[in-house]
Order: sequence, then C-alpha cells, then structure tokens
Amino acid sequence: MRYVKLKKEKIREFLLALQDYGELYAPIKVSEKYFDFRRITNEQVDEVVLDYNRTLRPPRRFFFPEKEVLFTFNSKKVEMYENKEAFTSEPVVLFGVHACDIVGLRIMDSRFIDDQPDPYYRARREKGIIIGISCLPDEYCFCNVRRAEFVDSGFDLFLSEVEDGYVIRVGSVKGHKIIDATEHLYVKVTKKDSDDLTAFDVKKSKMFTVSGNWDSLRYTLELNDEHPVIWMRESEKCLGCGNCTITCPTCRCYDVKDYPNLDGETGVRVRIWDSCQFREHGLVAGGHNFRPTKESRFKNRYMCKNAYCKEVTTAYCVGCGRCTYFCPAGINYKQNLIEIRGGI
Amino acid sequence: MSMKTTIIPEDQKIEIKEETKRKPTIGVYALTSCYGCQLKIATVSKILEIAESVDIESFYMLSSDSSIHKKVDIAFVEGSVSTKKDLEELLEIRKNSKTLVGVGACALQGGVQSWSNGIKSYDELFENVYGKNKIEISEAIEAKPIEEYVEVDFRLPGCPPEEEEIIYFISTFLFGSWPEEKDYPVCQECRFAGNICLLIEKNEPCLGSITTAGCNARCISYNVPCIGCRGPVPNDVAWFDSLAKVFVEKGFTEEYIRERMKIFGSHHPKLEELLAKVFGGEKK
Ligand code: SF4
Ligand code: SF4
Ligand code: SF4
Ligand code: SF4
Ligand code: SF4
Repeated sequence: MRYVKLKKEKIREFLLALQDYGELYAPIKVSEKYFDFRRITNEQVDEVVLDYNRTLRPPRRFFFPEKEVLFTFNSKKVEMYENKEAFTSEPVVLFGVHACDIVGLRIMDSRFIDDQPDPYYRARREKGIIIGISCLPDEYCFCNVRRAEFVDSGFDLFLSEVEDGYVIRVGSVKGHKIIDATEHLYVKVTKKDSDDLTAFDVKKSKMFTVSGNWDSLRYTLELNDEHPVIWMRESEKCLGCGNCTITCPTCRCYDVKDYPNLDGETGVRVRIWDSCQFREHGLVAGGHNFRPTKESRFKNRYMCKNAYCKEVTTAYCVGCGRCTYFCPAGINYKQNLIEIRGGI
Repeated sequence: MSMKTTIIPEDQKIEIKEETKRKPTIGVYALTSCYGCQLKIATVSKILEIAESVDIESFYMLSSDSSIHKKVDIAFVEGSVSTKKDLEELLEIRKNSKTLVGVGACALQGGVQSWSNGIKSYDELFENVYGKNKIEISEAIEAKPIEEYVEVDFRLPGCPPEEEEIIYFISTFLFGSWPEEKDYPVCQECRFAGNICLLIEKNEPCLGSITTAGCNARCISYNVPCIGCRGPVPNDVAWFDSLAKVFVEKGFTEEYIRERMKIFGSHHPKLEELLAKVFGGEKK
C-alpha cells in the first residue's frame, strides 16, 4: 500500500483541499462531553477535532439518513416516482472516522449492498469518501475484543498518528487521486515514523480495559438462553428511549410511513430509522407483537448485536461504546456483556 | 372482420357526469382551554388548501355561524371537560360527529388545569382561584380529559399541536386512510436533531424519554428540558418508574418528580402505580 506523511502544520491545508471532493463532514466538539460529525466549511476547518472519543450520531446517517423519501406517488394514476436526491447529491467526504466506525460501515454495506441492495444507500456510499483516523480507547471502548480496532479496508485514506503528524495509508483509487492532487502537502515516511506507529499500537493495546476476543458471546447467548437476572434487572432501568440504537453505528432497522398530500391523491413514502426498543418495532398486522415486553425488547438488542450476525466476519457490535455513553439511564452495556460472559 | 358500431339514438344517451365527490365536513370546537390549538389550526400555512378540500361547518374561533348541533364527518375537539356545560357540549359533539379527534394537551391529558389532580382536592383548588365566589356561567367540575367521558377516535397531541401533524391528520383523512399514532418518545427526534442530552450532561429533569414524539424535540433544541407537553407515550410504554429512578440518582426529590410528571400526565392510569414502585406505598 502507498504511504505518505502529513505534518501537523499541514492538517489545515489538507482539510481545505478536501473541500474539492464533496461536502466535508468532520468531528467537532458540540458540548462539554460530546462530539458530532458536522458540516465543515472553509471557515470552520479550525474547529475540527482530531482526538475525539466518539460522535453523538453515527457515520451511517450520511449514507442511510434518519428520514428519507423513498418515492412520491400518485394513487389515481397508480404511479410512483423515484427520489433522485441520492443520485444527484454531492458526495460526502467524511473525515476522522475511527476504525470501529469503518467496520460499522462495512456491516451496513453487508446488509444494504451485498444482502438486499438498496440503490439510494449504494449511490451515496459509492461516491462517498471515508478518511479514517487512529484513536486511543477510553473506558467505554472495547473494539479490540470485537476485532474492530484496526482496518485494512473500508477507507480511502487512513491517518495514523505519529510524533509530529500523521502517516497516511492509501486505501482506494479515490484515495490515490486525492494524494496525487495534493502531493505538495506531504513528506516521505521515515524509519522513526514507522517505529512511532508500532509504539502507538502497543500503547493503544495496553489502554483497553478488556482483552481477548468476545466472539463466543454468540454461543453464550444463543445456546444458553438464560440470563434472567440481567434481562430483568437491567431492563427495569431502561427507558425504552432508543438512544442506544439510534447512536449505534450498525443499526439498520427502519419503519416506512406514507404522508399523503391534501389533494387526497398524491403523497410521499418515507423511511425513518426504527428501534427495537420501541413497542411498534415488533408489532405486526393483526395486532400480534413479537416483543411485547420491555424485557424482550431490551434483550433483542443484545442478541442482535452479539448473536444474530451474518454476512460479515465480525459481530454487529463493533465496541464503540456509544450505547453506554449515550444511555440516559446509565445502563452499562459493556459491563453487562462481561457479566453474561461470566467475567472478562 | 369489421367492427359493428352501435349507434345510440340521441334521446337515449346517458349523460355521464364527472362523479361529484362530497367534501368531508369538519368542525373545530373548544371546551375549557386557552384556544391555542384552534389558533394553531387556523394559522397553519396550508389553511387555504385545507379550506378548499373540506367543508368547515363549525370553527368557533373563526365563525359565529358555528354550532355544536350541526352534523359533521370529523370533529376536532380541544379543551378539557371542566364544567357541566363542557360535558353537555362534548356529548352533543360526539353525537353529531362520525369521527372525533381529541386535540391538544387539555383534551387528551386534561391540560395544566389537571396538574394538581390527586394532590389538591377540587374544593381547595376552587378556593385558591375564586375564593368564596360562585361561578355564574356553569357549574365547574374537576378538569378531566375528554376520553373520560366519550370515545376518542384519534389523538392529535401537543400544546399546541405541530403544524406538520395537523396537516398529516387532515391529509390522511382525505386520502381515505387514518393517522398513525406515534408511540415512541421525544428522545428519538432529539437524537436525530443532533442535540446533546440535557439529562445526561446537564442533569436536567428532561421528560423526553416518557413523552410522545412529534415536536422534533422542540424545547431541547432550544436547550430547555422537555416538560412533557405532548403527553406520556401511549400504549403503556411511558416508563415513569425508570425515569423517576434516574431523577432520584440526580438528586431530585420525590415531590419534585411527581409534580413534574403530573403537569401533563396527572390522569395517566399508570403514573401512581409506577411511581409507587420507586417510592413505595400508594402515595397520592
Ligand atoms: S439508551 Fe438506555 S434507556 Fe434508552 S433504550 Fe437504550 S438501554 Fe434503554
Ligand atoms: S452495540 Fe453499542 S458498543 Fe456495540 S457498536 Fe452498537 S453502540 Fe457501539
Ligand atoms: S434489531 Fe435493534 S439492535 Fe438490531 S439493528 Fe434493529 S434497532 Fe438495531
Ligand atoms: S435531552 Fe431529553 S429528549 Fe433529548 S435524549 Fe436526553 S432525555 Fe431524551
Ligand atoms: S420537547 Fe417536550 S415540552 Fe417541548 S414541545 Fe416537545 S413534548 Fe412539548
């Protein structure tokens, strides 16, 4: 793979150069504790934060928006009209994506491109540009035991921190083109840089509070379906607010709703992110509900993220820590998984 | 093979008229309220479009020609039942309408006038407001949501309701379907909007997690915690108990928590039962 080095003092210029490739979004600080990917114009490049913990809203929203018109319809003519927005919109350039979130996007791809191709998602994703960045874990992170702390694909460029800048790894043809067009910004990677990268990795791995690999959670959850204490005790605290799924980088559920116009004939069909923590998620025609209790809804997320995984080689949970960090009830998902595993 | 054409004599021709679809008739009524919901309906940007698609039989705020005795397809009723007269009117409106939509916090949750329900007796409240006077207009009774007296077909929540939802309700009726009830909380829209969480970060007593979505987290977007004006999430998924526990951990007192949840939730059948799980007893 191709590597170049970007010195710290050139970051600003690099971000400005990215504006040529589409609409730039990058993490900024939105409050004392929170960061979020926000639109970055030329005037805002100085607000971009390179060492943030996690964003309030996950990267998937740039390719699978919270609310999206699927089509408009005319019931009298019995016709439907595609929404062109996804095909005509500017590409999204997402800067500063952590490894776990890149794995998250790959999981989204596995369902929205490989499994059930979704033209809107695919169009946005194919033209989008992903620029990853290295990070150090806090106590909420456990991407290491989810095999999501490092990525070899899923990015166009990946910035890894070294002492006086970033070593950029090029991951795609688009990435090459960006580097070619901005060559004046870079210097050669040295032996010292390569040593720094190794040292960073060692430091990072020592910072995780859990170790090993949690793949066997599938078996624990599916073959030994008895963790009544956890489901009961923890779901009692749950508010059913859906924050854990909305902030999760790999949730794929959506609801579909029709909004007719006042003419009584035309209207739009919209899809909106759903959450298995909501009652209606398990409701089907005839009034039956697959998950009628809060406990069953609470449990479903744990099963979905750790056991109901297919099409990819990792669990659907990438260990980003959002569902704990953003849970208003203070429910500690990571700690609960440790308990389900019977210790670390 | 040649086609045989039948020629119908002029006098036998049937004139096919463009089918004249009757416009649905609606009425907008108010019981005890601030008239804010009516004002909101009257001022939605598409009001002219609405006026063209339906026949407005009654709209008390806009026309003196309004009457609760007219028959309508859809009745929109704002206000709580707070007087004997309210009750008589409500029963008449229900009798004269095919579909009844409860509009706003007063009609659906009893409104702020129900805040002290179960805390202060009716007589105490009356004296607080009117002293020893008697009310001339109609005998006042304890403020209650209209659902305590009549069947409500659809609920259009809010204090006042959102324009988007008013249009949604009317357009689904015109389309021949019906408005779907939201049974998920404000938190969903709060997170969609990219707001920070006031409950987690600022320890503010936000009721968003037990309150019906639909306002796009209006207050939190202005940095004000949700006070629950759209009412508890329907279908028994407003977890007063779990939220009360969170509030207790943040240092709020039982009295404060109960009062706050009662502003727009005092008539909720599960409120006291769920609070009792946290605070014990059947405290009223
Ligand atoms: S964020 Fe927490 S309280 Fe909200 S639904 Fe998820 S687990 Fe429950
Ligand atoms: S389940 Fe929680 S920790 Fe895992 S990916 Fe989703 S938000 Fe992150
Ligand atoms: S079932 Fe729940 S946890 Fe799984 S993707 Fe859907 S919302 Fe997320
Ligand atoms: S601020 Fe309120 S509405 Fe928003 S996520 Fe937090 S609890 Fe929910
Ligand atoms: S945030 Fe809460 S109080 Fe504010 S409008 Fe919405 S439901 Fe009402």
